[in-house]
Amino acid sequence: MQADPTQRDQIRVLRPATPREAVALAKTTGAPYIAGGSGLQPVWERNGSWPRQIVALNPGWPGFRGIEETGQGLRVGALTTLGELAQHPLIHRYLPCLPEFMDQVAGPGVRHLGTVGGNLCAGGDLSALFLALDAQVHRLSDDDPQEQCQPLEDYSAGDGTLMTALSIPDSRQWRIGLEKLGYRERFSPPRATVACVHDGQTMRRAVCGEGGPARLRSSETDQDTELTAGGWQDPALRLAIQRMLAFLQEDIARDH
Amino acid sequence: MKDGDQPLETIRFELNGQAVTRSVPAAAALIDLLRDGGQVTSVRPGCRIGRCGACNVLVDGQVMPACLVMAWQLPGRRIETVEGLSDDPDYLRVRQALARESALQCGYCTPGFALSLVSALRARRQGGPADLTEALTGNLCRCTGYGGLKRAIERHLGPDPTDPSVA
Amino acid sequence: MTTDRPASISTLAVDWGPEGQPGDTLYQRIDGQLDYPTDLLNLPGLLHGAILRSDQAHARLLAVDTRVARTMPGVHSVVTAEDVPGLNRFGIVVRDQPVFCEDRVRYEGDAIAAVAADTPAQARAAIAAIRVEYQPLPVVEDAASAENQPALHEGSNLLAQESLTRGDVDQALAACAVVVEHEYRTPRQMHGFMETEGGVALPDGNGGVLFRVGCQSGHRDVEQLADILALPRAQVSVEAMTTGGAFGGKDELTIQPAAGILALRTGRPVMIHLDRFESCRSGMKRHPVAVRMTTGCDARGHLLAHRVDAVLDTGAYASLGPAVLENFMDHATAPLYRIDSYAVTGRLVYTNNGLCGAFRGFGGNQATFAVESQLDALACKLGMDPGELRRKNLRSRQEPGSRGQPVRWTAAPATVLDAALASPLWQPGNPAGARWLTGTGLAFGAQGNGLGDGLPDSGGGRLSLTPEGRIRVEFGFADYGQDIAGAITRSVCDALGCGSADVEVVLGQSRGPDSGPTSASRSSVMVHGLLSRMLPEWTQTLKRLAAELTGQPAEDLAPGTGGLFLQGRRLIDYRELAGKAPPDALVAEAGQDFPVAPGQETPVGRYLQLQIATIARVMVDRLTGRVRVTDLHHITAAGRVIYPPGYLGQIEGAAVMGLGMTLTEDMPTRKGRMQRDNLDQYLMPTIGDAPAQRVDVVDDTPENDPYPIRGIGELGIEAVTPAIVSAIEAATGVRVRTLPVSPSALLEAIQAREAQS
Repeated sequence: MQADPTQRDQIRVLRPATPREAVALAKTTGAPYIAGGSGLQPVWERNGSWPRQIVALNPGWPGFRGIEETGQGLRVGALTTLGELAQHPLIHRYLPCLPEFMDQVAGPGVRHLGTVGGNLCAGGDLSALFLALDAQVHRLSDDDPQEQCQPLEDYSAGDGTLMTALSIPDSRQWRIGLEKLGYRERFSPPRATVACVHDGQTMRRAVCGEGGPARLRSSETDQDTELTAGGWQDPALRLAIQRMLAFLQEDIARDH
Repeated sequence: MKDGDQPLETIRFELNGQAVTRSVPAAAALIDLLRDGGQVTSVRPGCRIGRCGACNVLVDGQVMPACLVMAWQLPGRRIETVEGLSDDPDYLRVRQALARESALQCGYCTPGFALSLVSALRARRQGGPADLTEALTGNLCRCTGYGGLKRAIERHLGPDPTDPSVA
Repeated sequence: MTTDRPASISTLAVDWGPEGQPGDTLYQRIDGQLDYPTDLLNLPGLLHGAILRSDQAHARLLAVDTRVARTMPGVHSVVTAEDVPGLNRFGIVVRDQPVFCEDRVRYEGDAIAAVAADTPAQARAAIAAIRVEYQPLPVVEDAASAENQPALHEGSNLLAQESLTRGDVDQALAACAVVVEHEYRTPRQMHGFMETEGGVALPDGNGGVLFRVGCQSGHRDVEQLADILALPRAQVSVEAMTTGGAFGGKDELTIQPAAGILALRTGRPVMIHLDRFESCRSGMKRHPVAVRMTTGCDARGHLLAHRVDAVLDTGAYASLGPAVLENFMDHATAPLYRIDSYAVTGRLVYTNNGLCGAFRGFGGNQATFAVESQLDALACKLGMDPGELRRKNLRSRQEPGSRGQPVRWTAAPATVLDAALASPLWQPGNPAGARWLTGTGLAFGAQGNGLGDGLPDSGGGRLSLTPEGRIRVEFGFADYGQDIAGAITRSVCDALGCGSADVEVVLGQSRGPDSGPTSASRSSVMVHGLLSRMLPEWTQTLKRLAAELTGQPAEDLAPGTGGLFLQGRRLIDYRELAGKAPPDALVAEAGQDFPVAPGQETPVGRYLQLQIATIARVMVDRLTGRVRVTDLHHITAAGRVIYPPGYLGQIEGAAVMGLGMTLTEDMPTRKGRMQRDNLDQYLMPTIGDAPAQRVDVVDDTPENDPYPIRGIGELGIEAVTPAIVSAIEAATGVRVRTLPVSPSALLEAIQAREAQS
């Protein structure tokens, strides 16, 4: 007899040998990908309902884990853990504001499990910064033999494609500001996380949290309308976002 | 595990210095593998979603909540709990600091805190962050208000003067 | 008139006493070597239980079909209301909660059935296979109007209504120069103990059951469990093991009835351990309070009148609600201040909003939040310093309590206030325009020890020498982290002169002495009283026996580490003495009533009173409205400190628990459903939220005070909330009266003020 909903012990863990095989398995079975599992397991535990099968991603696949310089910036493997991201010497050089910010992303134990790709697919704390950086997603899909590349802003997780890595531009000369508003000081889901990136010419802003991740494009005066349209229903939260953004922009401008 | 239709896998890993072979469901949580039959009871459930740190273990030296580690992720890895650290100098230092500053009351969560500190001390020696308070932000304690833990860090777990990597 | 002599004030630090180091049990806890009830997973033949809970907040129970569940793999027993051998009800004050619901469920989480199986997964699977048919009933969710809605129990939803009055409050209010009236709301806080409810019921092989559980009163639990299991009390025993936190949330029975019935049914030990989801849904919470207070004074700030109307939401069953209401009202009379006229009314109502009961502070901290906020509001309206307003109205040490009852302080309230006003946390705020607005606030609170109001309150203890030569001290109290064993050991060592290794503390055995419940900050008072009764005579006997065995004069012998000493030389060790003494010669037992005021026929309120002033320093983010508490400074006057590590930990821990209630913790309900179900949604403070704390102890306890030791387990939560909201006001100009503080509301208020200026 098949107990329904599926219990944890009944899950089949599919272990593809290659990323390509993973994409094919996900396509044929409809099973979700799992990397660290720190985001998905709590959802399943809460719902008391587990998928029948999961497709396990292997951090040993080439390019999936680790950070390297590309000449144009950094390539961050999707299965790089949040802890590795926070500690990595290249991150300290390219994104010096990030390591300290990472203290506010999940907790230390979860950061050792959770991955950059998992965080971005869930619209987590990293989304605001990576959106404001105009990061590019490298992905595999079952209908294209080549790895594809698209802006993070256009990427939607859950369409069966597999995120392999992210490219971020060379931001060493840029000014970057990051702020998180949670429910408490540490280990809180984001209420709103905002990022401002100034590349010497233009200011790019993005937000993530309760209203979802978004690159903000409107002028300051239209920001409230843009946030409302983007799904930020709580006026006080919109206010907080705008005040954080204004503060960061001023801060960045002052630095220049 | 009695049900015949469960997909069991043979998993080999190291637990507190001993090689372990278990036949378990591939998605079983490490916390259940450890607590089953009362083998390793310092690893304790507090939330089962990785939010309290009471089930922390060290996996290859890094602290992780055992409720979020699945059996299929274990092969070849080295798992440590406080039961296996009785000779570990970092653990002994942590243990003494926690006791001296009365950094615990009920103690249910304490092994999890201790492992977070051990993990951070090891990382610090390899040039990781020096802030041990940050290392405890994934652990919840409902009894102490964290006063004793802060004192333990400030008074007894500052940079180790004998450690050459700390200038 | 006597004057209060200057008190001694000292900053508390961890101090391990003469031996200079912590005891072994602390190391055992760190090493994970101390088993908690839910760690008992290696018992031979252990089965795992699970409880089916209602998914409706209010419904008729039409059918419970367990047929499929009974055939599931690994299942040994499935039980429902029909299988309760005795009384299908429990509750400390009113036995109104069913072990398993019969025909109606009254909250989401009400127990309907239970299963015992080989593995937890099998038990859960079987629970999921039980089919329940409900007929939904209207959900009573609004406490204010609950008594006008369909009744959850016999009679109306008004479970209790109380009033305390003094003078003519209407007349007094009319005479006031300044009056403030505000409404305050407090959250449904969760205890959040790290070890969720659980433990094991073990059949004893002779038809009885032994419980190894997390609980707070083994003896009282035995009475209730015997009735539920239809067993004589002698066949039920409870070992209250070291528990991973309780704070009041394990005062009622939790899993014991279901585990006990399953153990009797199967003849095997049964473990039930709620997971956090189930604990959030079904477990006890703090009573949410909605209270309106009207307080007035004359033009010089003398308080004249105080009116209070409160509604407490007790949820689906009474639990300790009536006692919480009483303590709330006691605190709502503003016990520290002289007010000639007050009228305090409180209503306790049933709703379908979960279960509320005992929780550290016990209604008192909710009341103190509102009372202290009222004083700040009056000071603001008068243009007077809040400290000055308090000083004008503080009771002296000689005055009776707010209900006219005799009270016994350990320091003059004015002394505590002076110390608070001298705190280094009183510093100017950040300059205007800064991102982080800073401010300092003060609140003052009083709290009594004991069950109070003349409720039966007594307990006993036992002292003996074991064959191994250890001084065994037995009490019925449960150890849930407060390190009462450490405090007892220190007391015995101090009194006797022995070493801590000579002392063996045995707690929480229902077969041992009944010391009464581990609640109401009563344990330390009882321990001190009982030891004072037992130790002198027991020590005399010890010396007499040693004298007989050694031929030395008894008066020259003194107990010390390891044995009795003559002129600094160990003459005979305890083990030898134990071996040679006649059996039972070295057993002492004592019982006593909890101290109440002398000469009162029916005691009112509480006699032994404690004080705390808390000063909070906060930073408020002008961008987002978030609040960081950076510092808490507490001044306590609660008798002598016998065990500094325990005292400090209790104050600091309670304060951070209060900080959580003030800033982030709430379990809101919608249509009777809990809106948070785990620790990613119900957010308790982490070390990143914990402020720097300092505890200063004012000890002006008279040398001959018969009750120099007071229980301080709840004191730290008494004043922290109003201190924080006062500091927020100092920082922002905004007064928050609904808890937890909403950063959104605060931000909007900050913005509105900025727009004005």
